[in-house]
Amino acid sequence: MLPLDQNTIINFLFYSFFYLLFAVPLTLSYRTTRVLNFAHANFITYGAYVAVFLNGLLGNQSLLLSCLLAFLVSGTLAVASHIFVFKPLSDRGASMSLIMIASMGLWIMYNYVLYMLADIAHALSGVNFVSYGRILYNDVPEIMIGSLRLSGGFIAVSVAAVGMVVFLSFFLNKTLLGKAMRAVADNPVLAEISGIPRNKVITVTWVITGGIVGIAGAIWTSFSGTVTPTTGDAMILQVFTVAFIGGLVSLVKTGIGAFVIALIENVGISFLNAWFGVPTSFRTFLTFVTLLVILIAFPPLGAAGGLPFRYRRKRGEAR
Amino acid sequence: MIDVVGFLISWLTFLGIYGILAVSLNFESGTSGVTNFGKVFFYGLGAYIGAALTVYLFLLLSGVDTSKVSPFDIEGIVLLGELATKNPILDIGLLVASLVLAFLVAGIVGYLLSYPIIRVGPAFVGFTLLSTGELFRIFVQHYEPLGGSKGIMSIPHPFAWVPNPTLRALLYLFIVLGLLALTYFVFRRLYNSPLGRTLRAVRDDEIAALCLGKHVPRLKAMVLFIGSGFAGMAGVLLAFYYSSINPDIFVPAVTFNVWAMIILGGMGNLEGSLLGAAIFTLFDRLLAFVTPQLGITIISPDYIRGFLVGFLIVAVLLFRPQGILKEGKIETPAWKVYEEEVKGEKSG
Amino acid sequence: MRKVANILEVNSVTKTFGGIVALQDVSINVPERGVVGLIGPNGSGKTTLFNVVSGFYVPDKGEVWYHNGGNSERIDGLNPNEVFAKGIVRTFQIPRLFKSLTVLENLLLTPYGQKGEHPLKAINPETWQEEEKALAKKAMELLKRFGLLEYANVRVSELSGAHMKLVETIRGLMTPARLFLLDEPAAGVEATAAHNLFRLVRELNAKGYTFLIVEHRIEVLMQYVDYVYVLHNGQLLAEGKPDEVVSDKRVIEAYIGEANA
Repeated sequence: MLPLDQNTIINFLFYSFFYLLFAVPLTLSYRTTRVLNFAHANFITYGAYVAVFLNGLLGNQSLLLSCLLAFLVSGTLAVASHIFVFKPLSDRGASMSLIMIASMGLWIMYNYVLYMLADIAHALSGVNFVSYGRILYNDVPEIMIGSLRLSGGFIAVSVAAVGMVVFLSFFLNKTLLGKAMRAVADNPVLAEISGIPRNKVITVTWVITGGIVGIAGAIWTSFSGTVTPTTGDAMILQVFTVAFIGGLVSLVKTGIGAFVIALIENVGISFLNAWFGVPTSFRTFLTFVTLLVILIAFPPLGAAGGLPFRYRRKRGEAR
Repeated sequence: MIDVVGFLISWLTFLGIYGILAVSLNFESGTSGVTNFGKVFFYGLGAYIGAALTVYLFLLLSGVDTSKVSPFDIEGIVLLGELATKNPILDIGLLVASLVLAFLVAGIVGYLLSYPIIRVGPAFVGFTLLSTGELFRIFVQHYEPLGGSKGIMSIPHPFAWVPNPTLRALLYLFIVLGLLALTYFVFRRLYNSPLGRTLRAVRDDEIAALCLGKHVPRLKAMVLFIGSGFAGMAGVLLAFYYSSINPDIFVPAVTFNVWAMIILGGMGNLEGSLLGAAIFTLFDRLLAFVTPQLGITIISPDYIRGFLVGFLIVAVLLFRPQGILKEGKIETPAWKVYEEEVKGEKSG
Repeated sequence: MRKVANILEVNSVTKTFGGIVALQDVSINVPERGVVGLIGPNGSGKTTLFNVVSGFYVPDKGEVWYHNGGNSERIDGLNPNEVFAKGIVRTFQIPRLFKSLTVLENLLLTPYGQKGEHPLKAINPETWQEEEKALAKKAMELLKRFGLLEYANVRVSELSGAHMKLVETIRGLMTPARLFLLDEPAAGVEATAAHNLFRLVRELNAKGYTFLIVEHRIEVLMQYVDYVYVLHNGQLLAEGKPDEVVSDKRVIEAYIGEANA
């Protein structure tokens, strides 16, 4: 019998939607800006902490307000990273590796700033912000379908995930700015020659990336039992793996990847647990093994600066 | 009041250990273009191999039955402490054995890991290695034979048999700096050779290097073997210095610190890595020294220090990307030939 | 007439990418000591053919044969570094030199299988010092011969485009390579430099080197090649001596078609 109970399925869906919300903007940001941004983890965490501070310092229980503010904060963080670091470096012709390293520097900086903010908030209010519990919001309903109980957080994340997909489909296909964004992603040189304001497009890309991920981070606080300044970091392996499944270029494949990884981590691990006694804490290993398998079997050729062809061990083996 | 000698020994020992890490990372990521964000993995791997080998073998070779007395229970720990002071041969011998084994294991693991990542871009390379490090740490946390989250304790100091603690520390410093010198010597030779030249070419343009007959995948695998091997040795040095290790030491922050060192010192420059390591370890030791005197503050000084590492990386990349020391020339006999020809041209 | 042996034979090569047919049943012969041109409108498959020959792509159908002296072997499916080891040098439209290295170092990189490239030998300079000095002497002589001596110690990133192309071509002379694949040598350089480069090609050809040259600037190319192949939409459209090809109606139509597109 398959060890598939209601909880596992709900968890699977939860994670699918969250990975979708975290990873699709990452793919979007990479393919448009060609920056592999490690500070992406911070967009998640800062979004979550907007909600945490609003709740802990001001007693806020409106998820809507948290999401709006999280959008602003993470969006601004993303744009600021672009204006002050990514743009100057890329204008100077810095290599992708260098910009990636700079984004790691930002990752470190943002992490510690948040720790410091948490400490200050703690000093002001006496509340422990370094590890914060699940937030109960009063503006998201709990729905009962028969005996199935869907929490407010589940409703929120499903709405957000579906909303993002709808928004991006419309935006990228039907609006001028969205189409410009796709042009810049597919062929930056041609886009520039055609008169597309590349910098404006990139700025908007960062706003959207940071914003969506920030909202997701805020919603995360209604799901997770412990929110810490390393919340985003704890999930970054999965988020990047999901984006890598999409080869860092395909939004659709990234979306599929979200479900795949969530499946492996929730359903897959519970199978392995039931049949082979593999402890559930091994779920991160499964994701990592998946990553390695992808890199070996389906290397994203040419993506992110790699060799645009397949190096062959034996003569003529690969096409 | 202020223990200057103690401070100096402590700083220089860290300089030695981190110097080895920095030089090896510079070789990988600075000279050869293999962006290694998982340095701490090989560091931790080496440390654990050395520590595990030593505590288990020490007990075994001293006639203790490790199935009854584990190196992790109090009895074993106390026993290790006592025996260490009486057995100079085992002390030093196991250090040497650990260094050799750590080099080989870490090196081979680095070599194997290169397989999935040689064909993909630096983003995937960096990220995969970063994840490997984290996975190792999580694994060790749950793996009891390696001490779990408590780690391995009472690692016999190679000079435990020396009664004077300062002399003990000095002797160990001597070993560390000796290994640093060896590391410097080896990498300097590698750098100033046709191999060094080929690796720089691979860094500059992989495809062109491939077209010029260079076996790029094999070269990268070799670079990771060497770089990881030395990192493993640095891990052993750390384990014996602390006499105990636990998984929380080997976090990604360590990798980032080493990156900051080579960026600050100048990527691609061997002496620059040492300079960066020196500056960082000095700053770190000064902070560790000063912090207890500051009393309790609202914001933990650790956070400020951590913030500064990230800030430094960004600032250097923005304002002086080549670092303090620029990448040097490859010194081979070819330049002698060049000089002779040029002189000949001028006079003839 | 004496039959000249071919140094390179591309036999019925087909290469597709996804749904796009980049090369369809293309056959090309490059005779030894010949200078052969490969032309065609944009997107005709010229660079794809080069990529197949130099080992970046494996052909879906067909073979590539390399005849070196008495030795004949199939080279399709080999990796680019293996193709180089066989004695085939390839240049790129935008020169791919190693920017952080000097001109001399770029030349020193070229010889295959240097002793000092092995890590265990690299540590001990005595094992490779002599070879290094010999190679350096050879490199300096080459630089002198082609008027680049003053640039020996200059970083490649500081060279002009024309000089870069020159360096990219002559560095092949550091090896026993006999076949040169030049990818648009006249691209991006002004007329005098382009002609100089082609004159160099003929000079080297007189000394025994074979050239297969992809070029878009037909007006320059035609003066220097013995034989021309024309590709269009991945297929071989025409071949022959330069004046034959230039007056071939199909060729003219293909190019006008491109101009009108």
